[in-house]
Amino acid sequence: MSNLLIISLAAAAVFAIAALGELLEQRAGILNVGLEGVMLLSGTFGFIAAKTSGSYLEGFLVALLTGALVGLLHGFFSITLGSNQVVNGMAIWILGFGLTTYIGYPYTGPLGLQPFPTIAGFPVFFLVALVLAASLWFLLYKTHLGLKLRSVGENPSVAEASGVSVTAMRYLAVVLAGALVGLGGAVYSLVYNPVWSYNYLQGWGFIALALVFFSLWNPFLIVAGAVFFGFLWQLSLYPELLFPNVFSRYIWRAMPFLITIVVFVILSTRWFRLRWGATKPEALGVPYQRES
Amino acid sequence: MTRALPESRAGRVVLEARGITKRFGSVVANDRIDLTVRAGELHAILGENGAGKTTLMRILFGELQPDEGEIYLDGQRVRFRSPRDALRHGIGMVHQERKLIPAHTALENIVLGHPRTKAILDLREAEREIEALCARYGFRIPLHAKVWQLSEGEKQIVEIVKELYHGARILILDEPTSVLSPPEIVKLLESLTKMAKEDFAVIPFITHKLPVVLEYCDRVTILRRGRVVAEMETRHATEQTLAAAMVGRDVVLQVERVEVPVGEPVVRVSDLWVRDDRGLFAVQGLSFEVRAGEILGLAGVAGNGQEPLAEALAGLRPVERGSILLDGVDITHAPVLERWRRGLGYVPTERREVGSIPSFSLVDNVLLNYHFEPEFSRWGVLATGRARELTERIIAEYSVVAAGPEALAKSLSGGNLQKVILGRVLSRHPRFLIACLPTHGLDVGAAEFVQRKLLDAKRAGTAVLLISEDLDEILALSDRIAAIYEGQFTGVVPASEATKELIGELMAGLRRERV
Amino acid sequence: MRAVIGGYAIRIERRADVRWWQTALASVLAILVSLFLVGIAFVRVGADPLEVYREIVNYAFLSQFGLPQTINRATYVLLAAFAIIVPLRAGLWNIGMPGQIFAGTLAAFGVAYAFGAKTASATELPGALVVPLMLVAALAAGAVYGAIAGFLRGRFQVNEIVTTMMLNWAMLWIVAHMIREGGPFMGRTAEGEGFTLPTSLRVPQAFGLPVTVYATVILALLLTWFLAKTTLGYRIRTFGESPRAAEYAGIDATRVSTLVFALGGLFAGFAGFHYFLGVPGVYKIPKNYGDLGDFSFYGLITGLIARNNPIAAIPVAILFGGVSGGARFMQGKLRLAFGIDYALLGVLMIMMVAFQALAQFSLRIERAATVAATQVERGESRVESPHH
Repeated sequence: MSNLLIISLAAAAVFAIAALGELLEQRAGILNVGLEGVMLLSGTFGFIAAKTSGSYLEGFLVALLTGALVGLLHGFFSITLGSNQVVNGMAIWILGFGLTTYIGYPYTGPLGLQPFPTIAGFPVFFLVALVLAASLWFLLYKTHLGLKLRSVGENPSVAEASGVSVTAMRYLAVVLAGALVGLGGAVYSLVYNPVWSYNYLQGWGFIALALVFFSLWNPFLIVAGAVFFGFLWQLSLYPELLFPNVFSRYIWRAMPFLITIVVFVILSTRWFRLRWGATKPEALGVPYQRES
Repeated sequence: MTRALPESRAGRVVLEARGITKRFGSVVANDRIDLTVRAGELHAILGENGAGKTTLMRILFGELQPDEGEIYLDGQRVRFRSPRDALRHGIGMVHQERKLIPAHTALENIVLGHPRTKAILDLREAEREIEALCARYGFRIPLHAKVWQLSEGEKQIVEIVKELYHGARILILDEPTSVLSPPEIVKLLESLTKMAKEDFAVIPFITHKLPVVLEYCDRVTILRRGRVVAEMETRHATEQTLAAAMVGRDVVLQVERVEVPVGEPVVRVSDLWVRDDRGLFAVQGLSFEVRAGEILGLAGVAGNGQEPLAEALAGLRPVERGSILLDGVDITHAPVLERWRRGLGYVPTERREVGSIPSFSLVDNVLLNYHFEPEFSRWGVLATGRARELTERIIAEYSVVAAGPEALAKSLSGGNLQKVILGRVLSRHPRFLIACLPTHGLDVGAAEFVQRKLLDAKRAGTAVLLISEDLDEILALSDRIAAIYEGQFTGVVPASEATKELIGELMAGLRRERV
Repeated sequence: MRAVIGGYAIRIERRADVRWWQTALASVLAILVSLFLVGIAFVRVGADPLEVYREIVNYAFLSQFGLPQTINRATYVLLAAFAIIVPLRAGLWNIGMPGQIFAGTLAAFGVAYAFGAKTASATELPGALVVPLMLVAALAAGAVYGAIAGFLRGRFQVNEIVTTMMLNWAMLWIVAHMIREGGPFMGRTAEGEGFTLPTSLRVPQAFGLPVTVYATVILALLLTWFLAKTTLGYRIRTFGESPRAAEYAGIDATRVSTLVFALGGLFAGFAGFHYFLGVPGVYKIPKNYGDLGDFSFYGLITGLIARNNPIAAIPVAILFGGVSGGARFMQGKLRLAFGIDYALLGVLMIMMVAFQALAQFSLRIERAATVAATQVERGESRVESPHH
């Protein structure tokens, strides 16, 4: 049981780190529904780098860089070209899915490094997620930069009139966010489940995306939600720990996805939606064009 | 606290515009405008809608570049490339639509982007400074409240304070009185006068409210059709001379109110409670009825529950408590279509977002109110021929300027689009019509046309609920006037007893008639 | 945006109106550039990309074996594109084609199973009765599985992208449950795949192709007519353009979003019916069903390139059906890694979005001296009125 909890936290770290990245860019008004694609690309490239070099550090660096670059690409479409952000996100996801399927295939199999160290069995990256959540909160609510970032997500023209460069802020947000999401992808492919296979991420990027929508854009609620989903996931892998001999193991694997939907429906009550409406960045997903 | 302006500075010219000309296509919005503003004065720019005020304002603030003409600040020629540029030269502007971020606190809004704001926010110092600024001019705002919680008047003050904090010495205000109740106007203008006395130049741009101009402003420049028609000191002016200069003719247009015998109540609303988007009660226990052949005017400052009321009546917003009867039938929780079928008609405030679809043809837009009628949908297939005929009829009857029924709605001007929407709704001969800000932003001709059509509908026996922020319009058209303040009626007055002063006080919640 | 280089000014501006041929040109360019980029993979193994593409075309469109395969794949892609197009007309995203496809497929096999198809010998079953039942089951199951996401979106505002994705993964495991490790649909011979349909329960053929192919072409026409001319189509378009105006017009958001997802799911269910019950050599749920499910994402790019137009989607689907199948053929021949067709899909998608976005801009090069004049023109072209 305590093992179940600990490994749940390892899974939670992946959800949380990726979702925190998405939260950062959403706060600046950029919506990236292609989280799955960013995580696939950075997770796969990080995996390949670590496998060929034998170094975790190299793997993580490549993943961070990949994430930042993909974030930049999404930013270029969404900020500079100003095209529909949902379409852009879809494109990022399909790009990630398609490219990694081909590029990663020759590396199918386990990473083959020593398992990533833990702190007396406790997953390091869950602590990293906690620190990141706190840092993100501090950045957003206690610094001028954070105020500017939030402002461009709420009302870019007001921010611009107050002397904030919307373009610069949004690019900053997508690059940082991309790197964070990339880190999340690498935590999955290098630490949580270091085995590459076809479409190995199994929709975790979409779960992380959903987590942001329902966190009321609050970093700490993201971590809490991530723990819940991490637990749910582990339970679906080892159902016999709690519910022996109920359903086949395949039905259990379907559970987290179905429960995700159920949770979101429950969270969509009127009470919740009123708060949701109050905290959603107002300019989320809306391209901004400077008046000339 | 008040510190007199140094002699040397008082009366000195701080801002001068010479020969400002701006064209939009064939329209000359500003035609060789000259403007001279001195330090220490409250200098009003007067003009009707379309006189060129907005264009001039945007040029002074660097949002638009003039085609010809120059701007001088303290005698130095300047050229603003952006509003930011203008602010660097000490020109601040308070827009009519709020430029604030509702989700942030007033304080956060004020310090946002200020060069002295430190990387790690320590707002105590800024707060002290801002509070001193407020105290000096008699402003009172809760700095730690979120902006969405503030009243329209408070938001405007936040913006003024923001401009001051960011170093504005010349303050341009766009229609500063339009969102305020009469007593709030007095307070604001007293503060502005105080500011002007110290060392600011304050330039309010005003359409209505001439008495205010006379009482508080030192000087006035009057625009008409893009030109300066008069510049005078207010002590030499009267309301009549100002109005005559603005309008260019003696008589202000008036629509003739028609008296028709008032019939049975068509709509009965009792104890209606409705929540706004934030979950707060925006409509609090309203009860009223509208009779056939009657216009009930709803007067109020924007944001006092008018929109949620209209939406609840139209079925777009759930009713928390109370009931709505239409011809005796309870429609409190009825779906939208049932209301339309029972004779409801609704002209929404937002013409392009709610009342029409810009990328659709006029035919498809007319179908918005007809797609559910059997004559327009046979076996589930649209009767496009019929819809096109109807559209052509509306275009002809309402003299809509459009390329034809297949023209896209986005190609129409606001006035023409409003005619299509009104024509579409009235073609259903509604029993009960809700008209929200029907003439807002329209030019005089279109506004008059719309008002005449509303009166025609009334003559035909429709019960009309007219929601407007234009008190003159309400007074001119309504048979009874209800004043709404914070979701409650402060009075319902027959037109014969209504005066501007009385309704103004009711709107401000200063006074309550027995309802 | 303007830059002056050596006496010439380069101006990049947003077009006020993008014409249809500009969009079409952008799509064609996106396809060409993508093919070029994926060609790099062929170069890396020492093949001449032009030669490779010639072989792909020969295989996919000109060979006896390849052409029917291309058409069958194209039909699958086209139906998946319909599953995208209908919700997208209402402004909603259905990426749940794999889930809906297998919901339909499982239901169809369920009917066959109920009639004892798993064990009975082929000749005993009345195909004329059972096959229509299987079709109805496939359509209904696809529609219901799709409708879940639409209903939740309309009623509770649950993000439909997330929901459909979750439903895909759930269905993936449900299929696994059915065909693996003693699941009810498990084939008798091979572990990990479904039972094979007896010949009497397979989709009938006409002119060497399953009849579902012809039905799909008719569906394209019907769907176009439905969206343009019917009241429901009007409501869907209205909701897609402006949910608030739709609400004003009494169009129920829950109903519209449920309807479009049910319709989308129905098409997806039909895609499953076509591919797993109609394509020669398949006639079962194969081992690599997940991979085939993901292949339906080609429908996404097809819908986008065709700008939501079901008829325009036909040639696009044929192109992708051929190129993806041909690429896979070459992948085997050249011993490339698995998934070259997916790489093409990914590159296509990003190029498509890039070119469509770039089509919004115009680029003009002119003598720097004329810049002053153009600025006046720029002032005139402002849309906003000078008055408020």
